[in-house]
Amino acid sequence: MTDHVARLYAAALALVAFFLTWAAIAARPWAPEATESPQLAALERREQRLRRESALVQRKVERRFAVYHTRLAEREREIAAAQTAPAPSAPAPAAPSVGVVSVPPVTSTRSS
Amino acid sequence: MERHAFRAMGTEVEALLDAAPGPDALLALASVEAAFERLEALLSRFRPESELSRLNAEGSIEPGDDLLAVVRLALAAREYTAGRFDPTLHDALVAAGYDRSFEALEHSGPVDPPSRPVRGGGRLWVRGRRLELEPGVHLDLGGIGKGYAVDRAVELLAPLGPALVNAGGDLAVSGIPAGGLWPVAVELPAGSITLGLAQGALATSGKDRRRWRVGGEDRHHLIDPRTGRPAESDLLTVTVAGRNAVEAEVWAKALFLAGTDAAAAEAEARGLPALFVSADGRTRTAGGLT
Repeated sequence: MTDHVARLYAAALALVAFFLTWAAIAARPWAPEATESPQLAALERREQRLRRESALVQRKVERRFAVYHTRLAEREREIAAAQTAPAPSAPAPAAPSVGVVSVPPVTSTRSS
Repeated sequence: MERHAFRAMGTEVEALLDAAPGPDALLALASVEAAFERLEALLSRFRPESELSRLNAEGSIEPGDDLLAVVRLALAAREYTAGRFDPTLHDALVAAGYDRSFEALEHSGPVDPPSRPVRGGGRLWVRGRRLELEPGVHLDLGGIGKGYAVDRAVELLAPLGPALVNAGGDLAVSGIPAGGLWPVAVELPAGSITLGLAQGALATSGKDRRRWRVGGEDRHHLIDPRTGRPAESDLLTVTVAGRNAVEAEVWAKALFLAGTDAAAAEAEARGLPALFVSADGRTRTAGGLT
């Protein structure tokens, strides 16, 4: 083995040692294990609550829309029926069973 | 002729029965008074506990048979009079100052200046047995309610013999009395004219009564649904004969709005026997009334 080859091996070993050391330091094994912050936990709870409420509101909106659509359909049927029905006509006129007479009245009437 | 008179629905009511005196006749005549009291308790807008007041307050109720029937009759009347008869003029009457019974109005002196008039045409629905009013719509069934009461009352008397029920402007008969006709005097500004009625009913509407003054201006209870204000008509009164008191009442009001010439022409066209008295006191008949 020549000196040249020995220096090449030494340089490669130094490079490997350098990267291993870098990886070890980057892993920060001395840092304390991360603990969940109370604010984060509160935010998560709030998010879950909002998700539940949102689902409830969505169900309510869907129910109301269903009722609205039912009523709308009913109203449209009524309108269609009214439009297709024959126009209401006046009741048949009363038979002319009244006339001016000249006998004493049994009662009198006036405007209401 | 048995006669029973009492006061109901803000007017004098008279029931005549052409039958032999006896407990049956007395009972039937008493039942007429009871029927009027019952219907007034249901249909009066001046009684806060009435079914009509409850409907006006709540906007939607399931009423009893009578209120339901009267509202249906009123809606039909609005259709066949093309809106000239309108049960949704409650607020217009109140705006014109007719905000309490006429008896109270007469004794309370001048009323407050009227608020903005409210036109007719309010929407309401009959869904099965449920009545629903459009928000802001209130009903007045005063005239048609009285006509309905007269029709029901004469039905109560009919089984016992020829009968007549007269309730201040609305009158109906049933059966032919011994004399052959029911002679009824229609009061005019000067004197009266007697009409012989064989069947059906008579109703008179006009601006000669139920009137009051607001700020020096005359007001009356016949509201024109197109303006929401007391109708401006050259007529003083209109008397119409119909098959029943409801029908006669409806047409008397509707023809009043039209004015003499148009009303006479319409009465002729429809074959509605009618007597018109114009504001200057002239009388005119139409629709086969001679």
